[in-house]
Amino acid sequence: MDTVLSIKNLTKHYGRVKALNNLSLDVARGNVFGILGPNGSGKTTTLGILLDVINKTSGEFAWFGQPPSKEVRKRIGAILETPIFYPYLSATKNLQIVAKIKGASVENIDPVLKRVELYERRHDKFRTYSLGMKQRLSIASALLCDPEVMILDEPTNGLDPQGIAEIRELIKEIAKDGKTIILASHLLDEVQKVCSHFCVLKKGNLIYTGSVEDVSKGAVTVEVSAEDDDLSEILEAYEGSTKVEKDGVHHLVSLKEGKTATELNAYLFSKGITVSHLNTQRKSLEKQFLELLAESDNA
Amino acid sequence: MLKLLQIDLVKLKNYRAFWVLNILYGLLIVSIPITVMEFLKWLKLQGADFDGFDPLKIPVLYFPDIWQNIAYVYTFLKIFLAIVVVISISNEYSYKTIRQNIIDGMSRIDFIKSKLATILLLSIGSTLLVFITGMLTGIIYTPNVEFAEMFTGIQFVFAYFLDLFTYLVLAFFLTILLKRSALTVFILLLFTPIEYAITANLPEALEFLIPYFPLHAINNLIAFPFKKYWFQEIQDYIAWEAVLVVVAYIVLYVYAIKTKLQKSDL
Ligand SMILES: Nc1ncnc2c1ncn2[C@@H]1O[C@H](COP(=O)(O)OP(=O)(O)OP(=O)(O)O)[C@@H](O)[C@H]1O
Ligand SMILES: [Mg+2]
Repeated sequence: MDTVLSIKNLTKHYGRVKALNNLSLDVARGNVFGILGPNGSGKTTTLGILLDVINKTSGEFAWFGQPPSKEVRKRIGAILETPIFYPYLSATKNLQIVAKIKGASVENIDPVLKRVELYERRHDKFRTYSLGMKQRLSIASALLCDPEVMILDEPTNGLDPQGIAEIRELIKEIAKDGKTIILASHLLDEVQKVCSHFCVLKKGNLIYTGSVEDVSKGAVTVEVSAEDDDLSEILEAYEGSTKVEKDGVHHLVSLKEGKTATELNAYLFSKGITVSHLNTQRKSLEKQFLELLAESDNA
Repeated sequence: MLKLLQIDLVKLKNYRAFWVLNILYGLLIVSIPITVMEFLKWLKLQGADFDGFDPLKIPVLYFPDIWQNIAYVYTFLKIFLAIVVVISISNEYSYKTIRQNIIDGMSRIDFIKSKLATILLLSIGSTLLVFITGMLTGIIYTPNVEFAEMFTGIQFVFAYFLDLFTYLVLAFFLTILLKRSALTVFILLLFTPIEYAITANLPEALEFLIPYFPLHAINNLIAFPFKKYWFQEIQDYIAWEAVLVVVAYIVLYVYAIKTKLQKSDL
């Protein structure tokens, strides 16, 4: 595994508040890694330490196998919490500053502005931008140096549904370029939609880490519709189902672990039913997340 | 270092208050000697009578007196440039851009260097303006200019530079400590009266400490020159002790800025 980031026993105390407690974590190259956790769980604190704006209390971390330094940070594109720019400067001028700091070419400025669709507004002052535009400018800024790693802290915070969809599309596109992305969020749905791996923090403690796929594995629920009055009974009779519910137009069939929609479909066909709708629902991360949080409460 | 200066200049070049304060400062520097001379001419025209003494004969702006005189007077204007420095640094806190600069790949030391570079540039620029203004004023008004006299006392222009630079580094330090611009400017304005109130009431046994107070140290570089016009002794040289104390203060401020920034979460 090509490790981009490795964290060992990272701890941060603010007075008596333990914002981060003995966090150990590895992020591999090419991962879209979600840091999930409720408000105040230490996501921003973790990223702040990794970017050297917050001093750690103890522990260690390494980027690309090297100790933290400004040279290492130049290979990372990052935004913490909110987009931060000089409000009285235009997008172009702001990005000039970033390019100079990162040692990136100013030639990159126009292409990244085009990529986030701010090129037409590039000469307007940052102050005059809408929240969505500000958010997009910070992604442009993070892309400026063609970074190996991108760090995004709640990049869709405060956006409308269309804005959220746009930003997520952008993140997925960037991930396709093979970049490693570390994304902090308290939106489970967001992590499920864009991430390949994730961890869960709670009050500064790591309570889970793994791949999104693994979570979605296991028992699945299938939506079924068919024009047959006996559908309910036939579904109930299926030996692979654990529960059948009626949800408006569809039946929701909870399958035993290992059973798939294909097998269910074959069973129904053998009973002379042709389905008009068949859809596998992945077990939502939300459920899993709530389960995890509950478990950690009991522990 | 040059790159760090460029970065800071992009931030300032497009900031209105930067130009307003600099231009105001420049205009004051250029206009003070003109105003003084025109005022003396006007006095003479009004037939003001100083026991038959011609006001234009007072050599305040003649070589070689001019250097110490203008250097002394101009140091009262340095608050304008200090405000430029305070705003340029407190903005980084209020916009949180100091945090983003570091995230983007500056070190905290780089940040300090970039601000010090700007302070150095302001000080050098201002010193040049003082030099040019002094030269032109002297050449225009001094009767029978002699080349040797033109540069006598020129060391006060250097003292002016040191005075200004130290004060601006002090402003930098106070801003890092207080973070907010209005508060910092307020403290900077109160600094002089408070320090002078303290030193005025110092017990005699401690009076030897007076030259080591921060603003006294700066002000000791250029002694008050005008007493000579009522025939009193003045200190018409720069004391090496004063230079040493001021340099020690610069080192101290920069060290304190560095320590404070490295300890703090941004
Ligand atoms: N400057 C600070 N001083 C004191 N406590 C702080 C400071 N910054 C953060 N904390 C505390 O550290 C803990 C973690 O905060 P952090 O900002 O990392 O949470 P987060 O996971 O990013 O939350 P959110 O989802 O709300 O952004 C919280 O309890 C918070 O109160
Ligand atoms: Mg946060």
